[in-house]
Order: sequence, then structure tokens, then C-alpha cells
Amino acid sequence: MVSNLNSKPEEASEEESGPSDSELVLKSQQGDVRAFDELVERYHGKIYGLTYNMTSNREDAEDLTQEVFMKAFEALPRFQGKSSFYTWIYRIAVNKTINYRKKRNRKRALSLDQFDQDIKTDDVYHELTTKGSPLRNISLSELQEKLNEALQHLSEKHRTVVVMHDMQGIPHDDIAKVVGASVGTVRSRLFYARRQMQTELTEFMK
Amino acid sequence: MTDRNNTLETTDENPADVLLQQLLHLKGYEVPDVARMIKHKQNIMRQVREANGQSRWSLGGLLEVNIPWFFAEPRYGIAALFIAFAALQFWGVSSQKQAHSTTGIYTSESKTAVLDQNITFSAPSISYPKLPDNLELCPDQEGDRGVKFVGRIELKK
Repeated sequence: MVSNLNSKPEEASEEESGPSDSELVLKSQQGDVRAFDELVERYHGKIYGLTYNMTSNREDAEDLTQEVFMKAFEALPRFQGKSSFYTWIYRIAVNKTINYRKKRNRKRALSLDQFDQDIKTDDVYHELTTKGSPLRNISLSELQEKLNEALQHLSEKHRTVVVMHDMQGIPHDDIAKVVGASVGTVRSRLFYARRQMQTELTEFMK
Repeated sequence: MTDRNNTLETTDENPADVLLQQLLHLKGYEVPDVARMIKHKQNIMRQVREANGQSRWSLGGLLEVNIPWFFAEPRYGIAALFIAFAALQFWGVSSQKQAHSTTGIYTSESKTAVLDQNITFSAPSISYPKLPDNLELCPDQEGDRGVKFVGRIELKK
């Protein structure tokens, strides 16, 4: 089973029972900390997934996730509900991550999460490791490292759209709202980012 | 939803595109440690409470936040319960000792009962009636009952 870290927030919200995001936001604004706990519970995995894939470093991702939720809690009284909570918190997460990396201004070593054992039952994995595949002789850890390196070679704005669209399944128009760009720009960035990654990975797969 | 749902769907038939989509799909299997994530969430909730000025936690709140972690890491939960049990035992023994040592009368090393001089007594609150001065309660001589009746007998004519 693929982790929910890379699932689209809307899907998760629809599946979950209980109060809606807007109800929880309202309660949190009225001082109900437990309502905010529920929002943390609901979005923790997704925000961690975003920051982790943006940084390829789990310690940085943990720090950033914590900062994102603290920032969201502080700014919640000013949240007017013009956008959905998930768009709003994703915007905080993307901005925080980009600023965090700018501040550090140096390349961080990769610190990666382990692959889930369920990967071995995945059809795509089987396809990639069969005889005719270019990846048949590559170990899983090597593949993981190269993939993350290729991702880290992208610029911040290109990496953001790849992570949000190709890994988390967020639609173009929602990404456009989060990054504050037009849908066309998002599509263009996605196209460019994919080309760049293909170039890097093709060298590796030869 | 205006866009595609599945990250593996692609309109482009280019094999390189398909391969990239497949690789990115596999990246979805990178998962963090569950116990670590639970602890991380608890840290965030704790920080939120501190920021909210609720630094004093109720027992209920503590249990609510920490119970999931106990289930995620049973060995730590069991260890914590054992420590709590040992602490309660120790607390019980020490409080019993304290209860014995604060009594007013205790047995000294010489095995004789002594009175703790530091004890303060409160004055009795009962007030007795004052006896008349001509009433002698303690006898001076033997055979004397110690009670003198003072009065005058008048004979009727």
C-alpha cells in the first residue's frame, strides 16, 4: 500500500468522517485546541510528505512540518476562509520550505526514509525489475538515491510542482492557487521539470 | 477535480515519460517510521498548547496525547508503567515512614517511652464553675470529711 504521504488532500478529506476542515478551523479560532489537534492529525502526513520530498532529508522535513503547523496555529485567527484550509496550509509549507533552503544556502546530505516492504508486491516495481527493464540490475537503495538526487537538482519552483502533482496528485489549478501562479505556468514548470529529471535519470539508466 | 487523478496516467506515450512516472510512483513507498511520526505529532500538539498558554496539562490531556505512542511502542509503554508502579510503591513506603516519625510519643533507642517536648498542647476549652471559698475540698485531719457547712440554724419559737 502506498503511504498516504503522497495522497491528494481532497481525497483524504472526503474519505474521513467527522467534522469538516472549515468546522475544525472555526472551532480552533474559538480557542478549541483539540480541534486544531484534529487538523494536525489530518494533515501531518501530507505536509511531512511535501517537505520530505522537497528536501530529501527527514530531519529537515520534521523541523519544517513542525514550523508549518506552529505558523498555521499562530496565523489561524487571521485565516478568513477565502481558500480552503489545505490550500492555505500548503502555501505556508511551500513558502517555509523554500525560505528554509535559501537560509541554509548549502547542499544538505540526503537522509531518506526506508521503502515500505509492500513495494515488492507493486506491479510497477515488478515491471521495472524484470529482465528487459533498464533498471533490472539496480538496487532499490541505489535507485532511491538517484531519484532523490535528480529531484534535488531541480530548482525550487520546479521541484514544488513535481512533488505536488506527480507525487501527491494535486491538480494543476490547486497547485496554481498554492504557488500563486497561473495554471499555464504550472503546466510549463511541470513539463520542464520532467524533461530535466528524465535527462538526469537517462544517464543513470544507460 | 479538473485534472488527472492517478499519477501513473499519462497522455504522453514517450517511454521516458512513462518510466519517470513509474519511478515517481515508487517514491511513494518511502515511508517514515510510524512511532517517530506519532511522537512528532505529539510534539506539535504540545507546542501548540504551550503557545496557547495551556502549559499546565491535565492528566486527561496527557493521556490523550500520549496513549497512541504507547500503542505504537509497547515496550516503552510497559517500561513506563513499570516505572510508574515502582514510583508509587516507593511513595507509599516513604509516606508510611513519615507517618510513624511524626507522632508525639515514640520509642527511643533505650526502649522507654518518652514524650516529645516539642509538642504543643491546646488549652482545654471547657470552663468549670468557680467553687465558693468556704468549701474545703481537701481534708486537713483524719476523720474529717473535709466539707464544712457554713450556715445558721434558727429555731422557731
